[in-house]
Parts: sequence; structure tokens; C-alpha cells
Amino acid sequence: MAEKNYYTIDPEGKLRCMKCGVKLVKGKAKFLYLDNGFPVELPVCPVCGFVYVPEELALGKVASVERALEDK
Amino acid sequence: MTQIQERGSTHVYKVNKISKEEMESMVARCVYEHPPFCSAACPLKLDARAFLEAAAAGNFKKALQLYEKITPFPLILAMGCEAPCEKKCRLAEIGDGVAIRRVEEAAARCGAARRLGGVFRSRKRKSAAIFGSGLFVLFLAGELEKKAYPTTVFCEEPDLEAFLRRGTDFLDESAFETELKRLKGKDIQFEFSCALTRELLEEKRGAFDVLCASNEVAARLYPESVCIPELMIREDVKLVSDLGGGVMEAAFGAKKAALTVDRLAQNLDPRNTRGQEGAVESRLYTDLSAADKLSRVPMAGARYTPEEAAAEAGRCIQCRCEECLKSCAFLKHYKKHPGLLSKEIYNNTQIIMGDHQLNKPMNSCSLCGQCTVVCPNGFDMARVCRLARQNMVSTDKMPLAPHEFALLDMLFSNGDAFLARPQPGFETCRYVFFPGCQASAIAPETVKAAWLDLCERLEGGVALMLGCCGAIGDWAGREEMAEQTKAFLDRELAKLGDPVVIAGCPSCRKELAGHEGLKIVGIWDVLLEIGLPEGGQGLSRPAAMHDSCGARGDEKTRSAIREIAKRLGCELADTPYSGDRSPCCGYGGLAAYANREVAAEMTEKCLERSDAPYISYCMACRDRFARQGRESRHILELVYGTDAGAPPDISEKRYNRLTLKNELLHELWGEEPREMKLDYELNYTPEARRMMDERMILTDDVIAVLDEVRKTGECIFDEESGLFIARKRVGNATFWLKFSREGDARYLVHRAWSHRMTVVKREG
Repeated sequence: MAEKNYYTIDPEGKLRCMKCGVKLVKGKAKFLYLDNGFPVELPVCPVCGFVYVPEELALGKVASVERALEDK
Repeated sequence: MTQIQERGSTHVYKVNKISKEEMESMVARCVYEHPPFCSAACPLKLDARAFLEAAAAGNFKKALQLYEKITPFPLILAMGCEAPCEKKCRLAEIGDGVAIRRVEEAAARCGAARRLGGVFRSRKRKSAAIFGSGLFVLFLAGELEKKAYPTTVFCEEPDLEAFLRRGTDFLDESAFETELKRLKGKDIQFEFSCALTRELLEEKRGAFDVLCASNEVAARLYPESVCIPELMIREDVKLVSDLGGGVMEAAFGAKKAALTVDRLAQNLDPRNTRGQEGAVESRLYTDLSAADKLSRVPMAGARYTPEEAAAEAGRCIQCRCEECLKSCAFLKHYKKHPGLLSKEIYNNTQIIMGDHQLNKPMNSCSLCGQCTVVCPNGFDMARVCRLARQNMVSTDKMPLAPHEFALLDMLFSNGDAFLARPQPGFETCRYVFFPGCQASAIAPETVKAAWLDLCERLEGGVALMLGCCGAIGDWAGREEMAEQTKAFLDRELAKLGDPVVIAGCPSCRKELAGHEGLKIVGIWDVLLEIGLPEGGQGLSRPAAMHDSCGARGDEKTRSAIREIAKRLGCELADTPYSGDRSPCCGYGGLAAYANREVAAEMTEKCLERSDAPYISYCMACRDRFARQGRESRHILELVYGTDAGAPPDISEKRYNRLTLKNELLHELWGEEPREMKLDYELNYTPEARRMMDERMILTDDVIAVLDEVRKTGECIFDEESGLFIARKRVGNATFWLKFSREGDARYLVHRAWSHRMTVVKREG
């Protein structure tokens, strides 16, 4: 069965981890909030695991899910 | 760092009950849903307000439809009714009551008659027979036809015209013709020229489910039987009938009788489930101050023409109690009267699983208490919202997000920025000056000048306490935090020798008044007693005085402030909603944190009262008005000849508090100032600064991110923008920056954002 991802962003090789000196790749990540989890695919450093949350995502989808969960 | 524990989970399955009785007693104070006095007086419950509104607009079709809801024969009722509604019209108290009956007559004459389902209209299986004639029989037949009971009238009259003549001699010919036509159009069967005998009635018992008769027939055939007036039934002989009387009695009697028929047809006790019948009492409040058309529109002929009727209907002032909705931006925003909103907020606290959709409204009230003052019955929306907030916090269902910034600010005020010192040269003091957190944040120079002045002119020493009074915890519904703050302040006050508190802010004064054994006065009281210092000056042009919601119910403080303004030479312009009825600026109750839009509407509501500059005596009011571009001054700025200038952003507010503390520690107590300098240069683009203020991101949060980058080297480079990106989890939020840099020495922040969710890499 195909794994469900709530959101996918591919860095397309435009982001570089300064600590590890490698390009970020589309990787598996998970948002957690108030005991709820959401699998996503975001730009991730394959070495140190730095997960990038772009501004549009943080202020858009993430913020609206936060509001919804806060009122649960 | 200071942190507040976020609630653990959305999966909390408990509620803390607010007493339903308590809530109901609070809700009962709101009279918005009470009927207007005209409708309340009408036993048939005409929606007279809507009827007159339609008639005033010349929409007699709609007006008649509303009138036909209460009677099957509108012209008969309109011409024969005693009009109890007119006697109760509020306009009758100051002039002529609206001639409702005459408008009804005009509507019944010129409005189009309502048509029921026609040939396709379904009929009920149970049937009714009515014996006799007259108004009651006519109205009852009409009511039963409306309820779709197959109905047959047995009467002595030879035809329909003779039947309708009985009891309707007050109708003129054209009205009679109209009602005859209406009667012919109804689905009612007639048996004319009947001999109404006991035998006939008993014979028909088998053919019909319910038998009814006029009072005249029932009393003649069953003289021993007694009619129960509430039910319109002679129970011993199972006969629905009336008690006689005029048009109103017949129409109301027929309504009650029709309901009894309904119950009997279903084999149910006619005593139960009848709802509220007849005229009722109303406690609706009506503001008569704007009523101007006090005399009845004269009739050119014997009755109103449609134009005259519309003009007369237009005199109706549409009684509605909206005193709070007129004055409160919060209630206006949600377009709900407080009785309804309170019920919804109460229900919100009782949800075990599911969405709490009223969280935002309940957190948007400024808790200012204006509604309680303007409401004729003293409705207390603040109490409802505060109780609901406390209730949600106590069951761990209250989101932290709307209030976290403010609560952290309170902890900052009573942590890093807190200062409690006796006046130099004293160990304990007779007084302590408590300016309030917003004063130190917005006008630190004024705070300093005021305190130094008090030190110089008061005997016994004046200590200084820079901190938060605890109102923020209280407003957020966090009783535990409010109690902790209270205990903390009590300990600090004890160290200073339990001095008399001189409050610089009316809200602090109110909050601190809750401390047992604490003596507290306002700085305004002290200044009036010892006289104003040299150098103060009022504004050069007339100004509007904005009363703080913290001074509601405190006439003494409001007068003291006005006296100070007068002594400074200020000319004060009157504004509506001033004094005890003053609205909140939008800071109160943490409305500005939970709902910016509503808070902005609150500020606008304050400012729309006058175009003049505003003088206030709460620093939060001063700040919010200045942010809207209005010339805005705190009374203490005028007293001490200081000018706090342009309103600071959220980071500057913190910086100002820290700087004031450090400056005073250095200048007054000779302590080395705490190093506040960074060992690198940090700058912001104007856009970054704007978005930080809007997104509630502090320079401290930015510094935390950059410190992390400098420590760990963790950041990414975005080839598209040529900027670096880094993040740091601070408390319950992750802060992100986009920045450029020159090595480790200089940073320029371009963008900043945050989110509360945590994000982790996932295996697999």
C-alpha cells in the first residue's frame, strides 16, 4: 500500500547544508503537535537530518492545522 | 529560558462543568429575545414588529402573510379586535401609540390573500364537526382548515352568506364581500338549515373524530356541562366549545380549541404540550430617545389608504434591545446578542470530543465590563468569558497559542525586567511606585520622571517596583499563574516593608486591590494632594479624554484625571460613550493577542468618537491609539513634560523595560549595568522588522537562532535567493530566519517566520 504523505516538497538541488556540505534531498519527515503526527516529505539533509520548513508551508498549511488542533 | 508548558494532547476527555443554573441565570439577564410589548400583549402572538416593518415598506403582501399566520379571517379580526397591542405600544408613553389595528385593516384590504396548497393539499385522516354559527365557529372552522382537518359545519342558517352574517355586523359591505370570498375559498364543508338537536350531535359522534359546538349550542343542548376555559372543552360531554364573547375572545378561543382538537384527534391529553398561550409579559428594553414621529398619521377618509397605512407603520420604532451591540465592537463583530453568545460559549466548554469553535470568540472579549454598564439589566459578558476561559484551562483544553506571547511577557516583566528596590537611603519605604508593565515598555522616561518626583516630594521613602500586576494571567483564565504572581508580588512588597502602593495604571490598581491587606492609591490621587510638579503642560488644542476600562465604576479616579487635565490647561472635548460607558482600546482581556481583527475594531470604535487628539491614563490605550496614527498622550506625559514618541514595536517594548531597569540600577544604586551588547553586528531589513512585529517574533528569538548557528554551524544555503536559512526551537515554537552574513561578524535578517509544530526526520 502506498504510504500517505500530507505534503511533499522537492528541493530540486537548490538547498545546501552548510554544516555537512551536501545538498538537501526530498526526505521523509514528520510534524508533531499536541500528540498528533503527520507524515510529510520535505527537504532533508541526508547526513545530519536537518529538516527545512519553508515560510509558505509554515504560515500556510502548518498554521491552519495548528489552529484546527488547538481547538480540538 | 522562561517557558510555559504546552498542553500535552488534544485527546483529553473530560469537562469541568460550569453550573447550568448559574449560566442560565446569567443568560436570563439578556432581554434581546423578549418580544416587543405589542406582540407580548397580543393573545394571538402577532409578530407586530415584522408586520409593521413590511407595511412601512409598502409590502402589504408580506404584511398580510404575517397577519394571516394568526387568523384565517384577517379583515374580521382587524375590524373587530380590541387592539391590546396599541395600549402597550411604547410610543404611547411619549405620544400616540402606533395605530396597529388600522394598519392591519389596510393590509387585509389591499394585501393579496394567501393560498394554501390548493387541490393537491393533503388532508388529515381524522375529521371534525362543528355545530352552530357565529364568530367562534367561523374562526374554529378556519383554524381547523389551516391544520388540514376535514371539517364540516352544521348550522341552522340556510346559506353561506347568512352563516357569515352572524356576529359580523361591524363589517361594511366591501369587507363582508372580501371575507365571504375568503370563506368560499376554504376547504370547509357545510350542512345548512340543520335542526341542531342533541340527537343530531350524538348521531354524528360515530361519523366524526372530534365534535365542536358554539357556546350557544353547547349550553342549550348540554346545560349541565361546564367549559374549561384553558382548553375550550366540555370534558364530561366530550364537546369542544367556547365561552362566548367578542371578536378577540372568539379568535383566541378558536386557537385554543383548535389545539385541543389537534390533541384529541391524536388521542392525547389536551392538557399537555400546549406551549405558552395568550398574552405574555415582556422585559424588553426600548430606547425611546430617538423616537421623533409621535403623532398618528391622520386619516383622510374612514380608513387608512395604503399610503397612509405605510406612513403610520413607519412610525414604529422597531423595539429591540441592542444597547450592548451598539457600543461593543466585540459583540458587533460576532453579530450575536450576549444571551445567545453566552449560551454558545457555555456549550463550547462542555464539548468533550470535537471542535471548540467558540474558543476564538470567548478569547476575543476584552473583559472590559462596558456591556454591564450599558445593559439595562447589567449583563456581564466579561464574567461569562472569564469563567469559560478558566474552565477550559482547568480541563487542559485551552490552547496556549492565543495567550502565550502575553503570558511570556508577564513572566519577562516579573523576571528579567523585574525590579523592586527601596528608595536609595531607605531600607523600607512608606510608599512604592508601581507604574505597570506597559508604562515601562512604552514610556520609560515618564516612569523615571514620575518616580523621581515622588521620591523628592513624599516623606518616608518611595520604593520602585517595575513588574506586571498579574492581570495578564487573570485575563488568560490561568488562575494558577495569577495566584503565583500575586504571591510573588506580596513577597516582594513585604521585603519593601509593605508600603502603600502608588499605582500608575488603573488596571493595575484594580488588579492589586485584590491583594489582602494591601493599601493602594492612584498616582493621580497623590498628585492632586501634593500638587502638580513644575514643567507640565496640557495640549494646545482641544483633546478627547479616553476613560480607561480599568476605571470603570471608579468615578473618583475619572474625576481626578479630569482635574489634573484641567490644571494642566487642557481643554477637553466631550465624546459619546465616555466615563463609565467607555469602550476598551483593544488591549484588555488579551483581545489583541487572541483576535487582532476584533481588537482593531475596538480601537476604531474608540477613535471614531472624536477627531481630536486623545488623552488617556492607561499606557496600553495611549499605545494603541498612537499605532493608529492618532495624536495620543498619557496624562503623565503631560504632567512631566515628557514625550514617549512613536509607539515601540514588540521587541522595543522589551528592550525599553530592560534598559530602564539597567539605567536605574546604574544611576540610582550604582550597580554595573548588565551587558546587553552582542559580540556581532545584527541588522534587519525594514521588511523583516515589519514581519517580526506582525508575527510576534522578538529580536531575542532572532538572536537565539543566530547564536545556534554560530555554535553548531547548522544552517542551509538557498541558491535561489542567495540567503542562509537557520532555525532554533525556543520554548513552544520553532523560529526560522533567512539572512545574509559577512563571516561571523555581521548579519542582516531578511525574513523571519515560526511554527508551533515540531518537525523530525522519519526513518523508513
